[in-house]
Amino acid sequence: MAERGMKNFGAIAANPYSWPFDGVWSASDTALLLLGFQSGNIAALSAGPELEAAMELLEEAKKAGLTVVVARRGADPSESAVAARRRLLGDHVPARHSAEWALSDRLELLGDAILVDHGGDNAFFRTGLEDELRQRGVRNLLVTGLPTEGIVHATQRAANDMGFECLAVADACKGTSPLRHSAQLRITTFGNGLFGAVATAADVLAALTTFQE
Amino acid sequence: MTIPATGGFWPLGGPVSRAEIALIIIDMQVDFCAPGGWIDQLGEDVSNTRSVIAPIRHVLEAARAAEITVIHTREGHRPDLSDLHANKQWRTRVHGLGIGDKGKTGRILVRGEPGWQIIPELSPVEGELVIDKPGKSSFHRTELADELKKRGISRLVVTGVTSDCCVQSTMRDGFEYGIECVLLEDCTAAVETPNHKATIEILGAFGGRWGGVSDRAAFKAMLEMLDG
Repeated sequence: MAERGMKNFGAIAANPYSWPFDGVWSASDTALLLLGFQSGNIAALSAGPELEAAMELLEEAKKAGLTVVVARRGADPSESAVAARRRLLGDHVPARHSAEWALSDRLELLGDAILVDHGGDNAFFRTGLEDELRQRGVRNLLVTGLPTEGIVHATQRAANDMGFECLAVADACKGTSPLRHSAQLRITTFGNGLFGAVATAADVLAALTTFQE
Repeated sequence: MTIPATGGFWPLGGPVSRAEIALIIIDMQVDFCAPGGWIDQLGEDVSNTRSVIAPIRHVLEAARAAEITVIHTREGHRPDLSDLHANKQWRTRVHGLGIGDKGKTGRILVRGEPGWQIIPELSPVEGELVIDKPGKSSFHRTELADELKKRGISRLVVTGVTSDCCVQSTMRDGFEYGIECVLLEDCTAAVETPNHKATIEILGAFGGRWGGVSDRAAFKAMLEMLDG
């Protein structure tokens, strides 16, 4: 087992494989992603329980010293093609600094959390997030957010192409329908985890509080 | 299937000149959809991915006749595998034959190998753009976005395999780049039908969050209406 300067957490009992693939994850090489936990999304999707699960993870992640990333989507005047398309199809994107755009007030972050503003669904797109994570030595990502088949999956797909080892936390994500949520996670795990693995918040919490030498 | 809200092939509407449109055919390679290719060697069923060869051939011929830009993609890695992430290789090796390993069609998904080639039925012809991609998205670490910009292409008709994987990634990234994408439902497939159906449902929801979902008959009808 590789030493990375910090104690490794226990492996997570995930689907379709024990995560991460190489068994190595620690506070120094792992980030928790909190995507789209904005007032408008939480209300529209009635995502109280999912927010609650994500907050429990955040609490433990902060204690353990993981990198924390918070991303929020807002209409970006410079990305006019995206914004125009959104408006035309009625897929609402909140204006920046509006009440619905605001992050949940439950999200109490440490000063060194990475805050990302994006106009589309993928929190990596033209945000500098990849560089920011690499500079910190992050290689593993725990992914939570709203909605599952939108911001969450778009971001996880991009991260996966970049080589990050991703774990979607199923009950800390909610889709625009239960079917879309479960179907998108099924696609995530297809082919021995084409886009990473899936586990529950309890599975992650159990591993976060155990260590392997 | 057309999008009722806008009544046409393009969710964002028209008019569109032929110079703005490209047909993209994703990863129709021996390893993914030919007998004896990688997926076939794994013992998985390639009948779904093979079922779209004739429909794609049909739209390819229509695109060539209409003289719109044609783009082919190939998923593959450099022979030294320097562009292959460790987790991607590990996940495929669990199946017994992973990316970079020697199979019956050469080294799996390695550039230049027989299995990596586009199937003969859909071979590119001179003047068509061929994009080599190391990831799932056709935009990830490729020249695709620059090429589209350079050529003034803002509309992408999406076909190929597999719908739940590289096709979905390409649609989503096209959206991020502000490219209007329309997927031809009868020109894409997945290894597992439930994943294909779920992909179509997700992509088609909300009038097409990341692009439209249509079919080859509507594509041909759209081409016939082009005048510019």
